[in-house]
Amino acid sequence: MDSKKAVHIYHRNLTILLGLILLVFILVPTMVKSPYILNIFVLMFYMSTLSMAWNLLGGMTGQNSLGHAAYMGLGAYACCLLVVKTGANPWLAAIFGMVVVGLVAGIVFYPCFILRGPYFTLVSIAFGESIRQLIINSEFFGRASGVGLPFGNDSWLNFRFGSKVPYYYVGLIMVVGIYLIMKKIDRSKMGFALKTIREDEDAAAAIGINPTKYKIIAVVISAMVAGLVGFFYASYIRYIDPDLMLQVKSTESVLPAVVGGAAFVEGPLIGGLIMIPLSEYLRANFSAMLPGINMLMYAVVLLVVIRFRPTGILGWYMHSNVKKMIDEKILKKPSSEVLEEVETLEYQREEA
Amino acid sequence: MSMFLQACVNGLLMGGFYALMGMGQNIIFGVMKIVNFCHGEMLMVGMYLTLILYTYFGVDPYLAVPLVALVMFCFGAVIQHTLITPSLGTKSFTNLLFLTVGLGLLLSNGALVIFGSEYRSIRTGYSQTYIQLGPVNMALPRLISFGVLIVVAITLFAFLKYSTLGKQIRAVSQNPVGAEVVGIDVKKIYLLTYGLGVALAGIAGALLTQFYTVFPTAGASFGLRALIVVVVGGLGSIPGAFLAGIFLGLLETMSALFISPSYSDLIVFMTFIIILVLRQTIIARRR
Repeated sequence: MDSKKAVHIYHRNLTILLGLILLVFILVPTMVKSPYILNIFVLMFYMSTLSMAWNLLGGMTGQNSLGHAAYMGLGAYACCLLVVKTGANPWLAAIFGMVVVGLVAGIVFYPCFILRGPYFTLVSIAFGESIRQLIINSEFFGRASGVGLPFGNDSWLNFRFGSKVPYYYVGLIMVVGIYLIMKKIDRSKMGFALKTIREDEDAAAAIGINPTKYKIIAVVISAMVAGLVGFFYASYIRYIDPDLMLQVKSTESVLPAVVGGAAFVEGPLIGGLIMIPLSEYLRANFSAMLPGINMLMYAVVLLVVIRFRPTGILGWYMHSNVKKMIDEKILKKPSSEVLEEVETLEYQREEA
Repeated sequence: MSMFLQACVNGLLMGGFYALMGMGQNIIFGVMKIVNFCHGEMLMVGMYLTLILYTYFGVDPYLAVPLVALVMFCFGAVIQHTLITPSLGTKSFTNLLFLTVGLGLLLSNGALVIFGSEYRSIRTGYSQTYIQLGPVNMALPRLISFGVLIVVAITLFAFLKYSTLGKQIRAVSQNPVGAEVVGIDVKKIYLLTYGLGVALAGIAGALLTQFYTVFPTAGASFGLRALIVVVVGGLGSIPGAFLAGIFLGLLETMSALFISPSYSDLIVFMTFIIILVLRQTIIARRR
């Protein structure tokens, strides 16, 4: 009973800590009034979400896609075109966009899942480039000049605001919601199946996991989340063009996950929290003198992390003394034996 | 008809570059089983090196080729030694992938920081000389470049086939553990391979400068096409890479001629996806 109580206290402390962090984010717009700072936060929210979408496929399933900007762009285009051509409600268009992107990704990648390792990466690049070329060459998609969303009065129904604060909150809800979904997947049977596929696809197939089925599910969910980010981006910027799908943008969307730690659900959040403000700071202050300095810094951080901390910042933190101190002093984390004991007890109770 | 012939020749001349890029990528992929995602950026570095040699030292772009190759070889060897070899040990494909992706970002944005985003070009006295051959019109630099890269391709093929080092490279690509057992220094071969691959990209860059503009992202499309060449031409096959490069060049000009120039990229990528999926499906069925 004692061990149970210790675990209970640990979980309670953990919830309080996470709640406090969330509270800080909720209170930011009441204290920060500068649109520039709020813009960085919004950027951080949607880039982290996009990175989480990639992480489901890349970090968890081991299928390194380099075409996620194309999914995002496709989602943005689907939403925008529906709104512009039929005057539909943007929220409806968001669902439409997600469905379209999910369908396209599922259908296109179905035959491609026979490809493994680098071949899958190559196809994802070629696929992303193909979509971009298709849009540049199509009158329907507005060719290279892109599509703009109509301007009008501020309203929640049309998801259109002059101020950045509503976008901030919607972005925050999006990040937290997608994080909870990803965490749920990570803990579920599907999450374990995906991780097994990442480690060894043949072994996964041998123990009764259908790799193709799970990979399709992962790619569809991942693409749908990317499509959602596309909707958010389009509503926020209110203008989209094919440059959204450039190869570099795909790479950019992966970096927070790799820097933060691709093996962890929290990796993209940590990576985004560190990289996006840094990148925006450099872009705002130095890009007039030295264009490209923010991406250069991005690349340097990426190389340093991969060379010296191959598991990312979070992978390093997991084994660091900082975590040990926080666990012991603040969270009062019981020893791993106690945790395991309680987990087994609960598992047995569920079985019974 | 003359347009068709002209397109054929243009495709052939451009295909040579894809072939050279593909060969470099091919030996790297063949030996280390990693995709070098910064291959196009290496071409761009080669271009800027040639540009510097031409503007500051007055070296003719073609005379600069051996020098650029040497510098790029050393550059590649240093990268291999400091970054790639240590990461090869982790056996994480994701890390190796993003290592080369990060290098590509570093190089292209480094060039952007140093040289700015202007488009530059080298125009020598013979840049605008054209040779009329029947109905076909060819720029002299393109012809010389094609000649040089044919020579480089044959030399590379002979080097891999007959020299001791070449045989060692092939041995490592077939079985690294076996190669180590028989006394081949695998790390040295990795160094040599990456240096060689990067040098080939540098040579392609140096040869391109007279009829192509130099800018920080000039290599991107070549890098992508090098990957296509490797996959279509088959792993570890130098003649295969050469033929695939020529095929890609022809495919581009032909689709530009018969369909539309703006669709040629799309057709190249779609062909690539179809060939890749079909081939892997056939391989999987045979197992």
